[in-house]
This record gives sequence, structure tokens and C-alpha cells, in this order.
Amino acid sequence: MSSLFKKRAVTYDPVNDEVQVRKRSSSFLKLAPLWDAFLVALGSLRQNKLRTALTLVGIVVGVAAVIAVVTIIQGLDNKVATTFSSQGSTVFTISKRPQIIRSREEFVKFNKRKDVTHEDAEAIARLCSACWRVGVAANVRETVKHGDQKFENVNIRGVTPGTMFDIDGRTIDAGRIWTEAEGASGREICVVGPDVLTNLFGGASADRVIGQEVRISGRPFQIIGVLEPLGSIFGNSRDSVAYIPYSTYQKIYGARDSIVTFIQVPTAAQLELAEDQARTVMHNRRGGVFKQEDDEGFALETQDVFLELYGKATANIYIVTIGVAAISLVVGGIVVMNIMLVSVTERTKEIGIRKAIGARRKDILTQFLIEAVMVTALGGAIGVLTGFGLAYLIAALIGFPLLISVASAVLGVGVSSVVGIISGLWPAWRAARLDPIEALRSE
Amino acid sequence: MSDATLVSNDAPTVLPTEPKAPTAHDSNSLISMREIWKTYQMGSEQVHALHGVSFDIPRGEYIAIIGPSGSGKSTLMNLIGCLDTPSKGEYWLNAKNVSEMDDDELARIRNQEVGFVFQTFNLLARATALHNVELPLIYGGVGSAQRHEMAMKALAAVDLADRVTHRPNELSGGQRQRVAIARALVNHPSILLADEPTGALDSHTSMEIMDLFERLHGEGNTIIVVTHEPDIAARAHRVISIRDGEIEKDEKSR
Repeated sequence: MSSLFKKRAVTYDPVNDEVQVRKRSSSFLKLAPLWDAFLVALGSLRQNKLRTALTLVGIVVGVAAVIAVVTIIQGLDNKVATTFSSQGSTVFTISKRPQIIRSREEFVKFNKRKDVTHEDAEAIARLCSACWRVGVAANVRETVKHGDQKFENVNIRGVTPGTMFDIDGRTIDAGRIWTEAEGASGREICVVGPDVLTNLFGGASADRVIGQEVRISGRPFQIIGVLEPLGSIFGNSRDSVAYIPYSTYQKIYGARDSIVTFIQVPTAAQLELAEDQARTVMHNRRGGVFKQEDDEGFALETQDVFLELYGKATANIYIVTIGVAAISLVVGGIVVMNIMLVSVTERTKEIGIRKAIGARRKDILTQFLIEAVMVTALGGAIGVLTGFGLAYLIAALIGFPLLISVASAVLGVGVSSVVGIISGLWPAWRAARLDPIEALRSE
Repeated sequence: MSDATLVSNDAPTVLPTEPKAPTAHDSNSLISMREIWKTYQMGSEQVHALHGVSFDIPRGEYIAIIGPSGSGKSTLMNLIGCLDTPSKGEYWLNAKNVSEMDDDELARIRNQEVGFVFQTFNLLARATALHNVELPLIYGGVGSAQRHEMAMKALAAVDLADRVTHRPNELSGGQRQRVAIARALVNHPSILLADEPTGALDSHTSMEIMDLFERLHGEGNTIIVVTHEPDIAARAHRVISIRDGEIEKDEKSR
């Protein structure tokens, strides 16, 4: 006690008093009030847990929506990029119908076209000098059986040997690909994707299933090779597949479906020339059946068609998501502002006390701004976590890829903090401008 | 009370309309009020809460300002405490002209020069006694270690060293007022300004608080008590009586 008032005694000396005041003004750090404001804000948020939670909802929803969508789309982007680069921009296809059909009328029109046949493919292989590899593929979905095990909805892909495995970018894990002679003979042999092993052979290792038998469309097929896995895209496994010789495919399924001809060029630079040559070959073969200006009679496409469509679709998803997020952040911001105004009114007395003992306007302003930012930043953080969780859940449920990015997390918290500053400014300014006498008088 | 000294004998009875030459403040006084007017606009009417009040308070004085409600003593207290500025006149506090300061300068003066003690204590309900006492130091920019030490000393000085972690609702009225006094003193202000400090306390506790004031005065503090209770005012060594916005009496009692 005595020591306090010994200290007090120094203020009697005007010189010492001045020294003391000056010393303080030089160390008038903003850090102490800031830290105090931080603790006060924390205390006040804890005090009103339910209110804080409800205030957070708008911000959480907005941020979570964006984070979930961005996470999934970035994952997709990543997957799409790696997937299409495995076939790459050196491959184009010729088929009866294009990959994307925009209307019923188009569908009807495309269906009237002549089928693309094995002979078309052979003609292209023979006549197109810029074409490097030409292969054909026809697909059907079929149940594959082994003993009493069933594996439904397997992609049965009838292909020409050699070229199609290369064009599809598939490599052999165990066993072998059939020879030209085997392919031409229409033998019932197959090369299967790893999913077939998992579902029919209890996950047996690749070399143990070589020579085993599966039944496709009731016929016994001998497994001569197993493919390396490629993973899935858009929830479709690309390993749930069985390649069979095209001649065998024709024998079983007839020529009831048009085939797709795959043409690969050695480098992207030759793509245009090869496309022109292939188109000419096809025009000659279609002859007078179709008027060219009306309809070519076939679809010549690269993967770019799909990539373009994908780009447009995801751009739209981004725009819609950002719109939803903007709306919920604005609403969330208004909620925060409203709550902050209530908080200022409730704590008028406290503001008066703080002002009476020396808080400046900017101290009060900072205190309430920190509180607002703390609410929204917390909302942002919860939103980011919820968004990641949501994305993870969606990814797990429908087999979408996932790419968690730190940048989007930082952006989520950052944007919501900015919302906090904007919506906290007006209430904080009101608090800072309160007259200390009036404020002290309030209850 | 018989040997009353009228300090502000030059106080005018009419509002001077012509500009008056600024009166030099008394450099020996801690507080120098010169021709202080406070005027409020009430609708279309102007209400004069203070009519040209002048007085001086030297360092180390124990003074009571007494008056009935509506006398202008609250207005005067707000001016002394730098919560407000006069409409007219000069107020010098510790050699600083406070009357022309802006909001933030006033805040700084309140922080450094004035220690408030209120009737209803005005402690922060959610904060511990220690944090309440530290608060002026926080706004004064005192570092955390020094702050803690100073606040502990101030609490010890009001015999509350064993109550530092208690919150106001865990303390009795007298204890709360002592926390408020520790908060008022922690920054070593020039004046301790108490507004009805015993108004919310029972008579026994009131006496304890008044004894504490007496002790603090004995240790060299300048104490100003604003009250309407003659008993409380009688403890002071000088009493200024306010009525209708003017100083009615200014007398030394000891």
C-alpha cells in the first residue's frame, strides 16, 4: 500500500509528473488495447453462445457452399486434365453421332445417318497418310459372371487389337493382348480391368486369374490379360471394363450398333491434316447419300468438344455458386450488423465506463470492429471446414475426385472477415460516438 | 464554517456580452475554473446549467461540492471530470487548458489526470476486480507486466489483495466501491473525483469508504466529492455549495 502511494508521490513533482506522462505517451502502443478488445470480444461472444451461433449461420452457409463447390470443381478440373491428356489432343474420332446431342431434332437427324463401319475404318487406315493409328471400338453394357459371382454393368469394349489399347492409353498389368490372328478369328478371349478381379475373383492377384473363365452374354471367355487401373471419372470407373476382339463382338452382338473409329496422329501438329484426309475419305465413301451442306453424315470430333462443354458447364456452376454465396454473405452481413447494433445498445453503459476511464473513440471503434470480424471470421472458418466436409462427403458418395486447396480456405476466411469489417463499421462507429455522460447514465 | 473564504469573488452576476480578455489561470492551482458557463438547448429554449462559475483548487485539497438536484453540480462534475467541455470559459487542469480539447484529448486527460468513483461503482460486470483495475492502464498503453503489478498494488492499497480474481457480483457493495477506488487511483491521477460515492451503500460501509478517502487524502491525493448529503460533505476540508448554476458558498471547514 505504502509503495503505491510512494509512487503516487512522484506526481506531486510537476517535473516528474511530466516525465511520467511523456514516457507513457511514447509507449502508447496500440497492442494492449487491441489484445484487450480481442479478449472482451471473445468474452462477449461466449456470453451469448446461442446468439453468436445464429449470427454465424448466414456466413457459414455462404462460405461452405462456395468451398464445397470449388473443392469439387477443382478436383474435377484436375481429373479431367489428367484423363484427357492420357488420350490427348492427338486423337480424334469418327462416329455416327457426336458426343453431344443438343436436341431431339438433332437426335432424329443423326439417327438417320448411315452407320460408321469397320470398312470405313479400314478405308481411312489405308488412304489417310497422316493417320498414325486407326482403331475401332464398339461398346455395350453387359453382366459378366464367374461361377455364381455376378458383376453387372461392365463396359464390354469390342476393339481392334494393338492400336486401340494404345489409343485408349491402357497398359497391361499381367498376361497379354491378343494377336492379330486371334483378333481376326473371333475367339472368345478377353482382357479385363481390375474391377472385374475385385468383383468376380475376390480381389485375386492379376496373374492368378490369367486363363480363368468368365461368362459374357452367356458365352465362356478366357481371360488372357489384366489391365493396369486408371481410376474413375464422374463416378464411373474406367476399370470396370472387358476388352474383347472386335470380330468376336460382331459375332455376338451383330452389327446392330454403329462403331466409333479412333484415329491417332503422332503429334498435335499433324492433327488438322489427318482430320482433312479422314474427312475426305468419309465424304467419298458417303458419296451422294447426304448433301454436304445439309449434313456430313458423320461426326468428326476431338476431345476438345467435350473439354469445351465441360469448361462452359463448370463456369456456369461457378457463377451460380458465387451468386448464392454473395447473397448469403450479404444477408449474413446484415444479420451481423443487426446483432452488433443490439450489442452496442446493450453495452452502452460499458462503453460509458470505458470512455470515462480513458478509452478514445478509436479504442471503442476497434473493440466493436474486432468483435464483428471475430464473428464473421469464425463463421468463415466453420464454413470452410463445413465446405470441405461436404465436398468430402459428396466425393465419397458419388466417386467424385477432391482437391482441397489452402487458397480457397484462406479466401473463405478472408472474405468473411471483410464482411465483418463492413457490417461492423456502422455499429462500431455508433458506439465510438456515444456521449460518455449519456452512456454512463443508461442502464 | 464561520471563516468562509470566497475564492471566486470575481464571479459576475450577469452574462458578459462583450468579449472578455482571457483570465490567466493560477499556476499554483491544480484546477482553475474561470467564468465557466454551460448552456443546453432544450427545444427552442436555452437552459443555463452553470452561470459563470470560477474557483481554484490547489493540489492536495479535500473538497466537497454540494447542492440539491438540478443545482448544476452534476454538470460541474462532468466538466471537472473532463467528460464534457464548457460552453464558455476556461478550465485549466494540471496546467493544461482542457476547455478547448477534442474528444480524444479529453479521453487522454480522463485517463491520465482523473480518477472517477461513481455512486453505482460502474465496474465491468464480466471482468475480475484485477481486470477492472487494469482497464485504465490498458487505455494508457501500459505494458502487461507493469500493468499487473500496478493494479495489484492499487488493490492492496484498498485492502482487497485477497479479492483480485473476484467478479463484481461476488463482492459486497463496499468492496465493489473499493475496487472502483483502486481503479480510480491506479494511473496516479491528479484528482480523485467521486460522485455520490456512498449513495448506494449502507451507513456503516459509507463511513468505511469515507475513512478510506480521508486516508487517501492524508497520503497526498486531491479529492473532490460531489454529494447532496451534508454528512458526507462535512468530512471534506472545503465545501463549495452550488445552487441554480452558481456558487452559493465556498467555505473552508478545517
